[in-house]
Amino acid sequence: MPGRQLIMSFPVTTTSHTLAEYRKRGGYGALEKALKEMKPSDVTKEVSAAGVQGRGGAAFPMGRKWQVVVPDDGQTHYLIANADEGEPGTFKDRWILENAPHLLLESMLIACYALNVRNCFVYIRGEFDLPYRRLSAAVEEAYEAGYFGEGILDTDLACDIVVYRGAGAYVAGEASGLLASLEGKKSYPRNRPPRLTVRGLYQQPTVVNNVETLSNIAWIINNGAEAFKAVGTPKSPGTRLFSVSGHINRPGVYEVELGYPWMKFLNEDCGGVLDGRDLKCVVPGGVSSHVLTGAEIASLNLSHEALWDAGSTLGSGGTIVIAEGTCMVSLLQVILRFYHHESCGQCTPCRHGTGWMHRIIDRIVAGQGRPEDIDTLYYISKFNDGTTICGLGDAAGYACVGILNKFRDEFEYYIEHKRSRLNGNLECLKSS
Amino acid sequence: MPEIFINGQAIEADAGQTVLQVALANGHFIPYFCWHPQLSVAGNCRVCLVEVEGRGIDIACNMPVTDGMKVFTDSEDVKSHRKAILQFITLNHPVDCGICDKAGECTLQDYHYTYNGEPSLSSDEKVRTTKFYNLSNRILLDNERCILCLRCTRFTHEISKSMALGVERRGDVANIRPVENKPLSEDPYSDNIIDICPVGALLSRQFLHKSRVWYLEPTPSVCPGCSRGCSINIWHRKPEWFLKALDPKQNTSIERITPLENPAVNGPWICNKGRDLARIFERARADEAMSRGQPVGPSAAIDEARRLIGAARRPVALISNWGSNEELDAFKTHLGEVFHAFVKRDWQRQEGEPVEDDLLIRADKNPNTTKARELFGDTEAALGEGTDLVLIWGEGFDFSQLPPRARVIFLNSYLAPENGHADVFIPISVQTERSGHYTNSDGVVSAFERCFAKKESVFDAAVLFKALAAPARGHP
Repeated sequence: MPGRQLIMSFPVTTTSHTLAEYRKRGGYGALEKALKEMKPSDVTKEVSAAGVQGRGGAAFPMGRKWQVVVPDDGQTHYLIANADEGEPGTFKDRWILENAPHLLLESMLIACYALNVRNCFVYIRGEFDLPYRRLSAAVEEAYEAGYFGEGILDTDLACDIVVYRGAGAYVAGEASGLLASLEGKKSYPRNRPPRLTVRGLYQQPTVVNNVETLSNIAWIINNGAEAFKAVGTPKSPGTRLFSVSGHINRPGVYEVELGYPWMKFLNEDCGGVLDGRDLKCVVPGGVSSHVLTGAEIASLNLSHEALWDAGSTLGSGGTIVIAEGTCMVSLLQVILRFYHHESCGQCTPCRHGTGWMHRIIDRIVAGQGRPEDIDTLYYISKFNDGTTICGLGDAAGYACVGILNKFRDEFEYYIEHKRSRLNGNLECLKSS
Repeated sequence: MPEIFINGQAIEADAGQTVLQVALANGHFIPYFCWHPQLSVAGNCRVCLVEVEGRGIDIACNMPVTDGMKVFTDSEDVKSHRKAILQFITLNHPVDCGICDKAGECTLQDYHYTYNGEPSLSSDEKVRTTKFYNLSNRILLDNERCILCLRCTRFTHEISKSMALGVERRGDVANIRPVENKPLSEDPYSDNIIDICPVGALLSRQFLHKSRVWYLEPTPSVCPGCSRGCSINIWHRKPEWFLKALDPKQNTSIERITPLENPAVNGPWICNKGRDLARIFERARADEAMSRGQPVGPSAAIDEARRLIGAARRPVALISNWGSNEELDAFKTHLGEVFHAFVKRDWQRQEGEPVEDDLLIRADKNPNTTKARELFGDTEAALGEGTDLVLIWGEGFDFSQLPPRARVIFLNSYLAPENGHADVFIPISVQTERSGHYTNSDGVVSAFERCFAKKESVFDAAVLFKALAAPARGHP
């Protein structure tokens, strides 16, 4: 096991997701502790002190988001768990929703208590089927047990929860796009300012947190901020769920204590690269993060600061392992097709830039590439960065630039010879 | 009050203003497509990017002013970003300016030449989508030209509230589309979206391929469609572009009507009826004076009218509420003592026309009822048995209501069967052939100017009233 476990700390069985099992593990004890022993402001203080960074991709400290909300300012507040996990390569929230839905619900109740929220929401990705059924069942169980509704645990706390299914837009995973979708509109992200913690859902102060981020709260309340900070590194406290996929022997979701050596994680915990091949590169945190070559990650630890220093990010924890022999041109084609397909079309640079990049890479793959195409891809990426309403435009550029910077020779070869140096392989074929 | 610096100039701004508003008000132009002073901020065109010291590049339209901020609207970074945005916008734009009605007044054209000016970096095929999509019986949509600034959808959501437009699909294949069960044709303000469209995506069917805009000039005028009296521009051919080979009417017809921004009355909007004034003004015109259906010369007609006025014992005048303030004054001055005057409604609500709403449209479908009633009172016309002469000024009077033995002097601009029934018929000019003022229902006076010359045989009403007041020739 890669370090200590805070979330995946129990054996998964066919019934481990139920309320009864969750209670046996001490479930809803943190809620009781928070309601009966702590003031709402104490909860916020504790969560802020723990320094949990957002697990959705931007690693924005949860406490700083919370501190903007004034619980007793007379306004209606909303809390939303962002379960619209759409970043390619990421499936960690799915694990929580399937196996520990009550952990999320308990953490959300604590957050609602701290932020004076009467109604909270879980915005769940439309493609998620089992997670949705498990979460809905958990909500029903929790209502029956009196954890939702009025007079929760014989206190004044009242809270209701709505599980809302998305309709399959990547951009709805962006917090403000999510709110638009939740309001019943097309999921167009909003311009900031105002921030969502000032004017969010229905123009009220709203906190949108990732499922995994929220799920840390119960542990923090049970064990205290100091204990949480003792896990991980000083700058990246806690653990993170990594969803490992690609050319790897044991793909899946792993909880990793931050600061754990990367190569050790891949080779020992995940069983090494498929077929014993060499590691070509790793997409560290969903395709929106810059790829890192095998050499670059050899000495890296899995922590936010280490990845930032290396020019990438842990992002959403969607780790895609790419073995030697994979064609990066074909890989970039897949990625850019995704961004083109998922651009919401609201703002100009992303609407046209993602399609432009996709057409160029399609042309290169079809053998019609021109030498200036690489510069054009750089140009589009550069001016997509920082000019768009949300991060999707930036992300498309990062993905493109990340691969181009490190594998430019493959693109030049492809354009010059009108074919891939690696036969366009994306699969890890046994015979090759 | 926050003080901000735009390109080094210190400006006192109001808290709550955006950088774009402050910059525009102080002579620092920042280009914009999606921003519109009357609509909510969408911030999607991204062309208003400016540089803020310490904060980098961001859009000005959604940037609240903060004390001491230093904004640069023309730095190298801003220029290169603006250029890139225009590259993106024109990437899938068909650049068919040669056949586009908007050419010459297109924001995209202007910005391209001002801020980019370079050919596209892309040689790939453009995204193709629908052209001449039928939005309503008045409007066509060219989705290829559309830059998805969403001004039109925001207009239907925020101003006209018809909710008639939305966006279908996403990415670079997103299209503006009508919303089911909310037809744009039922939106009485729909044509405003043609004006606010920064490119040639929304096309007026009336104006489609009718003229290049640089052949036209606007004359400020007032819409007579209802008592709101919206300020409008009447567009007609510039004299230097008159065509000799075509029907001369082509040179003196109303090509199109657009709103003239007037914060006191209509803001930047008008309703669809105001766009259709040609249907009122360009009906078949009467241009010959008549006496009991027989054409007579103008002076003979005036003589006959003077004689009738001189002989009448109980003359009644029905005053047109389409007369300008000047004409109404002229009547009061010259004939006010002679006639017992009542104000008449020239124009009634047509079948299917909206009655009234809280944006612009008023129930009274005449432009100058306010001034007419001020001068002549608001009692209903009473044509008693003793009435022996009726002067009818303008349309809208049912001749069967005339007292049995009354003689009739009729002043009208258009061909009508009643013209021949009058004892004296004298043709008068229409609004586009003279200048004057109307007083709207809120008491705001707006001026209209002359667009076209009138025929010589047609009288301006003010001149006519003075002439009628003189004693008849050949009578003691």
